[in-house]
Amino acid sequence: MMEKREKVTPQFILFLQIMSISLIWVLVVSVIWWVLNLISLSNYLHDAQNATLAISLLIMPLFVLLAGILTYVFVGLRRNRFEDDEHA
Amino acid sequence: MDDLRHDPDYTLFRPILEKDRRFLWMVSVLVGLIGWSIYMYLRQWKYGLSVTGLNNNVTWGFYIINFVFFIGVSHAGTLISAILRLSQAEWRRPITRMAEVITAIVLIIGGIHPIIDLGRPDRLMNVFYYGRLQSPLLWDVTAITTYFTASTVYLYVPMIPDIALLRDRTTKFRWLYKFLSWGYRGTERQKHILERAMSILMVLVIPVAVSVHTVISYIFSMTLQSGWHSTIFGPYFVTGAIYSGTATLLVVMIAFRKMYHLENYLKEIHFRYMSILLLVFSLLWTYFTFSEFLTGVYGNEPMEMKVIRFKLTGAYAPYFWSMVTLNFLIPLIVLTNKKLKTIKGILFTSIGVIIGMWLERLIIIVPSLTNTRLPLVVQAYIPSLTEWSLFIGGISMFCLLFLIFSKVFPLISIWEIRDGRAEGLEEAKGRLESYLPDRAVAEGRAQ
Repeated sequence: MMEKREKVTPQFILFLQIMSISLIWVLVVSVIWWVLNLISLSNYLHDAQNATLAISLLIMPLFVLLAGILTYVFVGLRRNRFEDDEHA
Repeated sequence: MDDLRHDPDYTLFRPILEKDRRFLWMVSVLVGLIGWSIYMYLRQWKYGLSVTGLNNNVTWGFYIINFVFFIGVSHAGTLISAILRLSQAEWRRPITRMAEVITAIVLIIGGIHPIIDLGRPDRLMNVFYYGRLQSPLLWDVTAITTYFTASTVYLYVPMIPDIALLRDRTTKFRWLYKFLSWGYRGTERQKHILERAMSILMVLVIPVAVSVHTVISYIFSMTLQSGWHSTIFGPYFVTGAIYSGTATLLVVMIAFRKMYHLENYLKEIHFRYMSILLLVFSLLWTYFTFSEFLTGVYGNEPMEMKVIRFKLTGAYAPYFWSMVTLNFLIPLIVLTNKKLKTIKGILFTSIGVIIGMWLERLIIIVPSLTNTRLPLVVQAYIPSLTEWSLFIGGISMFCLLFLIFSKVFPLISIWEIRDGRAEGLEEAKGRLESYLPDRAVAEGRAQ
């Protein structure tokens, strides 16, 4: 009875999940692009280039790491959803 | 859903499954208050910052006070949760989720305040087009964005097993739970993946959280303004942030314990442990405050003294001494007295600390701006109705988002409670045995 009420198909759920992973990476690429823009601006203005570079080197890997963790979790959970499973 | 009623943890599912009139009533009031604050903000947008109490001297008022205050409160969550998880404190299990939710919500609200303070919000885009990383303001933008991303991920990842549980056992929001659970079924490999991700996140989130409030303190301490130019502002702000966050967490725990009848999960022992943390941070905060003022008074620099006098004996004295009473005297009296350290006493103290910490932000920001180094006429700052409305709007938004969260996801981590029952006891016993001296060796030595 529960299944009959389902209006959202598994394909749509999968589509949403793929979209969310893609959006996470779009966000990360946008942040990196923005930070690169800040570096080029500081270079152009000869203004605190070293500090800009140091802060940028901290921010960019952090975002990549966070997106990497999420991708690892999402893909890992989906791939291993039937392993060792009694209900599978 | 019927079989769920026989579940030993049904209390944790109940807020999601059962309709509650009080919830609708509260949501209506909160939406009304938020609606009013949106109207006041639109009015500010139309007429500019002239509708606020800001003036030529005091260019940072309520909005920046609230920004620092809300971001400070956010430290309750992720930081406390990560530290408790890392140290394997078993009593953390019913607390961590609430703490993490506070962080995520409060960061959104805190992050909006500088945009409100802009007056012209369209100018926000200048940060993206022409931002320069030499400015501590831009450090703030990057630090808060990173912290918000990290703490949202840190809230979500440990929630996946509970979302899967809701997907399998409820009929409400099933598509959402299916989407968010990523096919989690509790297989060994899936558990391993989650554990691995969580252990990386809990280590990562602590330095990020500490850096956020340190960087926020830099927007003040990097200037040469009297009362702001201090080297201890970083740790002072971090301590204050964790202090206000702990108090907020306690208030939230007590409120939702009463509202959703969570007495069996949030026991007196949890409040006792949390109140010890509150007392420790009260003393730390007092130490930093004393240190900050003593250094200023001893230096006797005329402009610095003008600001200090303004705070201690001048126009801001009532706020200053209220802050000292709420942040030091009351916690010290209540939390060191067994008779007073009841749940009601802890609630009273925690509300006092929240008010006291807000006053601390007020006392740091406004007096320094009122007493400028330039020979200008001292202009008093009196917040307008717009600023008060937006402040109430911010608090209402926090309450509303927290209430909505509690209706969609469990406020207490169900899997962590079950895990604690199933494996935690044995684990804790094993750990305790490993701390103690080996009995065989001790007995061998005795012989």
